[in-house]
Amino acid sequence: MRRTRITFRSARFCLICTILALIFVAPAYPQHKVKLQPGAKGTQCLKCHEDLAKASKQRSVHPLLKKGDCTACHDPHTSNHKNLLISDVNTLCRSCHQQVLPDKARSVHQVVVEGNCQTCHNSHGSDNSFILKKSGNALCVECHQDIGTMAQNVQYKHEPLLKDKGCLNCHNPHASTRADYLLKNTVPALCTECHKTNRPNFAKRHMNYKVDDSNCDSCHSTHGSNRRGILYDDVHKPVAEKKCDQCHPGAGSANALQTKKQGALLCRDCHQTMIEETFKKNRVHWPVADKTGCLNCHNPHGAKEKKLLKDSQVKVCGQCHADTVELQKWSKENPKNKNLCAPVKKGDCVACHAPHAADKVLLITQENISIDLCGKCHEWQSHSTHPIGAKEIDQRNRNLTVECLSCHLACGTGNKPWMMPFETTYELCIQCHTERKR
Amino acid sequence: MNPVIKICVILAAGSMAALTPGKCLSVEVLKFRHETSIYADAKELGLKQPEGVACNAASDLIVADTGNARLLRYTFRDKAVGPEVREIKVPQLPYPMQVKLNSKDEIFVFDGKLRRIVRLTAAGKFSGYIDPPGLSPAAGQTPKRFHIDQNDNIYVLDIFSKQVIMMDSQGKLIKTIKFPTDDAYFSDLTVDARGHILLLDSINARVFSAAGQTATFAPLTENMKAYMRFPTSLTTDARGRIYLVDRNGGKIIILAQDGSYLARLSARGWKGGLLRYPAQMCLNADSEIFVADTNNNRVQIFSIIE
Repeated sequence: MRRTRITFRSARFCLICTILALIFVAPAYPQHKVKLQPGAKGTQCLKCHEDLAKASKQRSVHPLLKKGDCTACHDPHTSNHKNLLISDVNTLCRSCHQQVLPDKARSVHQVVVEGNCQTCHNSHGSDNSFILKKSGNALCVECHQDIGTMAQNVQYKHEPLLKDKGCLNCHNPHASTRADYLLKNTVPALCTECHKTNRPNFAKRHMNYKVDDSNCDSCHSTHGSNRRGILYDDVHKPVAEKKCDQCHPGAGSANALQTKKQGALLCRDCHQTMIEETFKKNRVHWPVADKTGCLNCHNPHGAKEKKLLKDSQVKVCGQCHADTVELQKWSKENPKNKNLCAPVKKGDCVACHAPHAADKVLLITQENISIDLCGKCHEWQSHSTHPIGAKEIDQRNRNLTVECLSCHLACGTGNKPWMMPFETTYELCIQCHTERKR
Repeated sequence: MNPVIKICVILAAGSMAALTPGKCLSVEVLKFRHETSIYADAKELGLKQPEGVACNAASDLIVADTGNARLLRYTFRDKAVGPEVREIKVPQLPYPMQVKLNSKDEIFVFDGKLRRIVRLTAAGKFSGYIDPPGLSPAAGQTPKRFHIDQNDNIYVLDIFSKQVIMMDSQGKLIKTIKFPTDDAYFSDLTVDARGHILLLDSINARVFSAAGQTATFAPLTENMKAYMRFPTSLTTDARGRIYLVDRNGGKIIILAQDGSYLARLSARGWKGGLLRYPAQMCLNADSEIFVADTNNNRVQIFSIIE
């Protein structure tokens, strides 16, 4: 009998063949072996999922549903993801629709970042284009209610908002590679697509100042306002009176858009008393004294916020004091802080701090924090039975008296309750009442 | 000698600029001890929100007792505050905030109300104002902070023109150096033993450095917000270590000369050794640290354990 000798070389050859067979042949095995019914990838599904059968007849249908390929997104048997999806919903859509998040996006819609496509789109079908849940502005204002309400109620509306594409006349829905706020282009390039700057009427309305390259939204409220020309509701008096030359050289001047003076010096021409009072105080808020001066916090022309603030107090103050604003935000979100001090909850920094100058440390406006400041809202003497006031020496420090800030921190204490600097009341009390320490 | 540990940095991910792969650093392990606190003057009148401290080799300690509109001169020897306390009160100094001494023990004070640098003799008599050239107080242009180096040159932080003004001891302009970036808010400056000017950006908790001869600042550290909340003052010691006073965080952060993090001193609180809104600190020749613990109405003294 002939015996075959198995050499090392032939064994190696067999092993390689086996591996190659496993790689190339094995994956094909289930497809050939399982006897799938016709339409198993999709049309079979619709027999049970009648709602989806209806969806497939709507005006706008997802191409995969139209094609009857449910298994492109769903696993027919099991899945670790909701709705038997083949992968996490946050990444599934983007696996085909990569273009919604361009590489060099300057701004991206929050829902796109989070992968929450279903906030705006139905997955299967809709009577609105692009399988959108609602059509036009109605969809956007579901989240952006403040803008929706404002735009609806103002006397003068920005025309593109009312035209067919609504918000999408100026904004991209997913991302913008050109500008912030998902704008299709930068301001003023976007605005000048409609508002031609070479028209005589444009020049006349802008007092003949050459504002082609200026930031339109420094004066105009882009979604609408109650002032003609959609100027901000709160507009600087010289702007309202069209007295641009009060702060700027004449329109014909070579440096017409520069200001006549720099920093607080310019503002002092009108706000003399306020500026003089500011500089008489012991402590000035330093941004007032730099070259940008008042404009560190205020817009010179108009603003959404009162007192021409650039933004909400929390955002303006947070430009520099991000650490404190972070603490305030953290305190607000803390469920233990249901009774958070109202100014902290509202982010009303100026309820306690003078924004321009003060005689006290930390620009505190009042002489006595407990009585004059906290006492504005809290009846501090009836707040608790704990002795408090100028005669009560703090046991921890002989140069301090017991006051509100002996137990509470005014800007918030993050995840600690009652604006206390400690996790528990016990930890706070034993600071002084050491004999009660367990 | 301080105990010194040699650390070789293998990965630089997430570390500061000074830490580069494979770079070996000598990291000192610093320990501190709270020695004592100063609460009052000789008549037991309590300090009120002191914001400035300055010390010299002769064991003098000058305190800007800001809330009481005065300076106090103490001595600190052999870990104890001397019994003699001298009050310095001049009408030209209504709201003393930052204090510095020069090599002749003249006292320089930044006054918050006047927003001017006041010069006093060693005995505490008013001898004039230092008005940096180019800054017009009438136009609202004021110095923010200042420093005096070992040669008695005066450096002023000019936030209006975004520059450091360097003057000689008589206030004559030597040169100006522009701030390195607009993306910052500079609160203080100092000059280290090598003559490098250091600038402190409070918003991003960054330190910038300019070698004495150069006319530009370069970053010494990256954003160090992970270590501190809102540093507003800085100083250095003879070894080049940098001390940042974290006003909102109630602590002192110590960096090595290369800007790498070394240690933290104290924490926020009311008890002895803890700080609330500290404003300025100084070091004496014995490595003792004096901190103006503003909202605790005291000055605290720490020593570095050698």
